[in-house]
Amino acid sequence: MASAVPLDELTGRPAIQSPGVVHVLLSNRKFVIGVSVVVALLLLALIGGQLLGPRALRSGAFLPKQGLGGGGALLLGSTALGQSILAQLFQALPNSMLVGLMAATIGTTVGATLGLLSGYFGGKVDAVLRVLNDVFLAVPSLLFLILIASLVRGFGVPAMAVTIGCFAWAWPARAVRAQVLSLKERPFVQVGLLSGLSGIEIVWGELMPHLLPWLGANFVNAFIAAILAESGLSILGLGPQQEMTLGMMIYWALNYGALLQNIWWWWATPVLMLITLFLSLYLVHLGLDEVSNPRLRGT
Amino acid sequence: MYWRYLAERLIIFAATVAISVTVVFFAPRMVPGDPLGAVSLKLAQVGGNLGGKALIEEYTRRFGLDKSPAEQYVAYLRQLAQGDLGYSIAVFPTTVGDLVKQAIPWSVGLLLVTTLISWTLGSIIGGIVGWGGSRSRVLQALFPVALVLYTIPYYILAIVLVFLLAFLWPVFPLSGAYSPGNPPTLSPAFILDMLRHAILPALSIVLVSLGWWFLSMRSLIVSVKGEDFITWAEAKGLPPSRIFWAYAFRNALLPQATGLALSLGQIVSGALVTETIFGYPGLGYLIFNSIKGLDFPVIQGSILLVIVSVALVNLILDLSYPLLDPRIRYGGAGR
Repeated sequence: MASAVPLDELTGRPAIQSPGVVHVLLSNRKFVIGVSVVVALLLLALIGGQLLGPRALRSGAFLPKQGLGGGGALLLGSTALGQSILAQLFQALPNSMLVGLMAATIGTTVGATLGLLSGYFGGKVDAVLRVLNDVFLAVPSLLFLILIASLVRGFGVPAMAVTIGCFAWAWPARAVRAQVLSLKERPFVQVGLLSGLSGIEIVWGELMPHLLPWLGANFVNAFIAAILAESGLSILGLGPQQEMTLGMMIYWALNYGALLQNIWWWWATPVLMLITLFLSLYLVHLGLDEVSNPRLRGT
Repeated sequence: MYWRYLAERLIIFAATVAISVTVVFFAPRMVPGDPLGAVSLKLAQVGGNLGGKALIEEYTRRFGLDKSPAEQYVAYLRQLAQGDLGYSIAVFPTTVGDLVKQAIPWSVGLLLVTTLISWTLGSIIGGIVGWGGSRSRVLQALFPVALVLYTIPYYILAIVLVFLLAFLWPVFPLSGAYSPGNPPTLSPAFILDMLRHAILPALSIVLVSLGWWFLSMRSLIVSVKGEDFITWAEAKGLPPSRIFWAYAFRNALLPQATGLALSLGQIVSGALVTETIFGYPGLGYLIFNSIKGLDFPVIQGSILLVIVSVALVNLILDLSYPLLDPRIRYGGAGR
């Protein structure tokens, strides 16, 4: 049968699956560097936190305002209250990453599901979801987060993550909907329909593989945005009061006048860590983008 | 078709306002505990009983806490419709509206100027680098710099700038929008003082958004470079500078202008956290102080006001797009 439609259009296999997704990802330098830095930092923080133990976090555990380069827990100095900055960092890093991970998972999953439903099935559900979607895109979500966080004082880390995640679904929902609208006209979906697949089977079996690379890149974006939201809220004084996050480290440092007392290592530690984290996550995002969109390679 | 598009935009605007008002009204009532808890706590903090009881009674009456939630909601809507956002608790006789009115010019002024500066600079530099970047090492080095700047949040850069340029090497003031004891007037001395205070916050915003405008203009120019009309202009033997400015740059500018319009929509919401770090008396600083002072009516009122103005600006932009760019289709379903 001489068809004008290429074979992979009919079978619906996205091109990136042929050499194996893992292989393609591992041969992308940006992706590998980014992921390695993030994972290495996380492991370091988790192991280091175990080694230092909870005592190093207490105020008065060490002499206050010790500079860089002390031994053990004082490697990064101490705060004005005599806490070990290294110990704070070891607790803050996994907590901030937990916020990012949970919020990005919630936002991407909810967004993708709503986008798939409204794009594939259309109709009234689509109309309602689209208005809701536009509303959430129009509103600056940091403001709603401020409102909620200022009411629920003493947010824990998981509660904060869930709240941030609730505001992260709008963008993936819109993008997934647009992609589904174009995918559903493609021949392989028509072939699936003709061969008697149900709606759910088409959505999961035929559409999902095409959306996954994009969803991966969006997940990393949402991860960055969630850590950004966390640190913004925390600097405004709305972060978890009992636990450390990178934002809370900055908040306490600024609150105790670390800038004016020249205890620069206190604020510089979380600031440099946030910059490192954002840069490596952005590299991961660029890598995923290149994998899902080969035209970007080499630009 | 335009009417359908218009109706859709209006529905979204109305839905945004309705949802925000409802959330702002019901959110405090979903939290367990006394809705006036914050008020009494604040009064206890200040330590004064002077008029405290009267204030609580006034609030009970204002919020109509003896009535049903539905009645309260209607009463709240009626107040809002009259432009009444209530009173501040921290500085009691002052209304929320007055506080917000004082703060808005600082936020909008700072963000409007910085957005325009960074857009202009970013577009020009990004355009030049995208056009001839492969020929010069210096220009190529700008790309990673822009990438780093773009990934750093405003307020992180703000902290670093305060440390470097206000503390370590004190060229600029640490905080505020003007020196205390220098009342806002239109004298040259005051304007100079105001500019000196604005430079650091402005710099932190300009540098970060410059990265973004640079990156987007660079990729736009790169894609325009391959267009047929550029080849045609080269074949005609036009001077390279004319090809760049009149052909490539002008064509890449339209999407870039759309981006500018979109970011202007966010201007009212300001750079909330940046203002906090610089003690710059805009909306962000107002909200920060209200959070600290448990001044809930101010948080509620200013957040509502910002959301509504952002929605309004977005509506105006949405309606004017089709006039700016005839290529935009009005169809709703295919977006």
